[in-house]
Amino acid sequence: MTRAPRAELIPALLLIGGLACARTPASPGQGVAGQAPAAAPAQAPVPSYEVRLGKATYEHYCQTCHGETGAGDGFNAYNLDPHPRDLSDPTFQKTKSDADLLDAIRRGGAGVGLTPLMPPWGHTLSDRQIDDLLLYLRSLRRPPG
Amino acid sequence: MPLRRLFAVTSVLFLIVLAISPAKNYLRPYRSLQSRYRRLGMARATSLKAADQYALRPVAIRQIWLREFENRVDRCTTCHLGAADPLMKDAPEPFRLHPGTAHTPLDFERFGCTACHGGQGLATSEEEAHGTAPEAGPPMTPATSIEAGCGRCHAAETVIEAPLLSRGRALMSRAGCYACHAVRGHEGFRSEAPPLPALPLKTGGGWVRRWLADPKALDGNATMPNFHLGPQEIEAIAHYLFSLPVPTDLRRAIETAGQEPAGDVANGKRLFSESRCISCHTVEGKGNGSAPELSKIGSTDGRGWLLAFLRDPHAFNPRTRMPRFHFTEAESRDVVAYLMDEFRDFDAPKDLLEPIRVKQTLAEAGQKLFRQSGCFACHASPGAPEAEKFGPDLDGVRDKKAASLDFGRRNDLPRTLPAWLAAKLDAPRSFAQGLKMPSYEFGAEDAGAIVTALLSLGAQPVPEAYRFAPARPAAFLPAGRVGALIDRYRCLSCHQIGDRGGDTSTAPLTYEGSKVRRDWLADYLVISYTLRPILTDRMPVFRMPREEATLLADALEDFYVDPAIPDDPFAGRSSSDADPLEGQRLYTTLGCRACHILGSSGGYYGPPLTEAGKRLRPGWIFAWLKGPQRWRADVRCPNYALTDTDALRLTAYLETLRGAPGPRTAGGAR
Repeated sequence: MTRAPRAELIPALLLIGGLACARTPASPGQGVAGQAPAAAPAQAPVPSYEVRLGKATYEHYCQTCHGETGAGDGFNAYNLDPHPRDLSDPTFQKTKSDADLLDAIRRGGAGVGLTPLMPPWGHTLSDRQIDDLLLYLRSLRRPPG
Repeated sequence: MPLRRLFAVTSVLFLIVLAISPAKNYLRPYRSLQSRYRRLGMARATSLKAADQYALRPVAIRQIWLREFENRVDRCTTCHLGAADPLMKDAPEPFRLHPGTAHTPLDFERFGCTACHGGQGLATSEEEAHGTAPEAGPPMTPATSIEAGCGRCHAAETVIEAPLLSRGRALMSRAGCYACHAVRGHEGFRSEAPPLPALPLKTGGGWVRRWLADPKALDGNATMPNFHLGPQEIEAIAHYLFSLPVPTDLRRAIETAGQEPAGDVANGKRLFSESRCISCHTVEGKGNGSAPELSKIGSTDGRGWLLAFLRDPHAFNPRTRMPRFHFTEAESRDVVAYLMDEFRDFDAPKDLLEPIRVKQTLAEAGQKLFRQSGCFACHASPGAPEAEKFGPDLDGVRDKKAASLDFGRRNDLPRTLPAWLAAKLDAPRSFAQGLKMPSYEFGAEDAGAIVTALLSLGAQPVPEAYRFAPARPAAFLPAGRVGALIDRYRCLSCHQIGDRGGDTSTAPLTYEGSKVRRDWLADYLVISYTLRPILTDRMPVFRMPREEATLLADALEDFYVDPAIPDDPFAGRSSSDADPLEGQRLYTTLGCRACHILGSSGGYYGPPLTEAGKRLRPGWIFAWLKGPQRWRADVRCPNYALTDTDALRLTAYLETLRGAPGPRTAGGAR
């Protein structure tokens, strides 16, 4: 009398168990795991996205005066007195804090007591663009010596 | 008894089965990552309350569900827990704060993750989500090509803040990819490649054979790719091209021009440099490079053809960007005399100009090859199929699974879509025998840019609400004489008008009438000069008759205006706002001279301002000073956020600058 219902319970319980299994988040393509794809050939490290955006901003707005490497030797540099700052100079990079550089970019030379020939970019570039630009400027630092 | 034992065994088995799933779930990597993130957050939190919030975070799958955006479900934030958490700046992956972009952290909830990054949003294991498992769906876009994601919604060729994508798209237009490959939005693309029927009267068999073998070897500016034709194929196509009937009017024009007396070389030299041909052409590499190199043209092209072409290039190629200059008969003879005399290659092979005696069988084989190689896709030719594209559609490239790509013989490549695309661009024929795509010799950087542009091409357009195109008014192009002049001088080859035109010039004509003074413009069209010193030799001198220049200047003044640019910015203002002396002081203190020449000194970047008052309308100067980027989004002139009063004073000062008296000579800009 008592055995029969228990025996009947087994498939029911198995069914519930099966449902419990099915409740785990399904993910497509689960299962067969083959060999990993061939590793990409070794490459120079890719600069971060921010630095790449900063580079594009530099090339567009700054390079004409400050030059490709930041040495202050751009196409337009020789029309300017004083000459544009050598941004790659390690001493300059060391003495100027991030805040100093951000301030000079935003408010221009006149804003920080230097030549007005360096324009203020705070109303042209977004804060984010200026932050990215700063990251790129830091990457322009040439090794000392 | 056996039944009871059976029951015990099944019960134990059942309990084990029941435990598998929770155990598996418990051991999933994201759970331990979430615990690690919790500890990291508590360590980095600056207040007890903030630390509590990390402590109380439940371990769970997180997702961004975008019903309106292709029903995306992005569970990436299940592991990338700090993507929007400023405390996670520079944290180790996968917790690091997402870099700031135009859309992050602002638009996380609007775009999710996979819209830009690709990959499988639904998956909750790294291999499957990133698509590195072979059976997973399309993988993530590699970081080097991440701007492909921008291109899903931003369909314009130039996308500000996506320099690599923009470069790739510009290269695709210039290379003419859309001539063979259908891409949504480029249905109207037509190659500028010339129709070929006048070729036998232009040059000879030696030149055509060499050109077919490797166009870039003859002319670095060539846009035609290398089809890797064998000697027999070259011979056949050359015979076919020389068998094409030359249209009677072109033949007559070329033959009569060839019999005209020789022109004056010295005058031709003057005209050549005055006309500023290297605004587009190059001479020994010097020049813009959007049109053919000219330094050997005297040895490669026939005199009659050159003369007839110079007089009416549009009769030879209706789509050419070359304007029809207004040379007199004698002047065009002089220019061609100079070309024939100066641009001669003394080492030129003897057979360059030798005509081909057409063999019919070869010509027929060549015609077949012309079809089979897809030459007709760029070079309009009679009887070529117009509607269908020669190459495969490129829409949907982004979504291709690496497993579905045919790598053929290329066992050396990583089995990824970007590597496959880059190899297709680098050596398209290396995958298998019989492939048709020619080689373009893009450098690695350009190829990377094009791969980025290709990876932006999804199979389906994004939903309307996500599409973004910069607002540009539809180009107004009048009919009648004005329209004919705009067409004749091909203003749209370099200048934009509304949503049409090229970008060689940085000066769109859309609002030219509100910008420059009519009298200045009429003079400028007669004798144009290079406005910005940094651009050497731009804007050809068309030798436009005064009457045409006046007509065009009037039309620009009437049609191409912007209501946002005031006619008189000083109206209703006090006289102190129009004080030029205050303006002059501002000119100095703002440092305008860094970029602008005034008198004898100043920078080479912007246009000289010595004659600003003669050239520019005061309303424009004011509108420009109030925010240059409104008029050209990427212009370098900074926005100084001037007050109305300061902008007006500066306008008043620039208005006083009328330049030195005395006539300006052509070509005197630099």
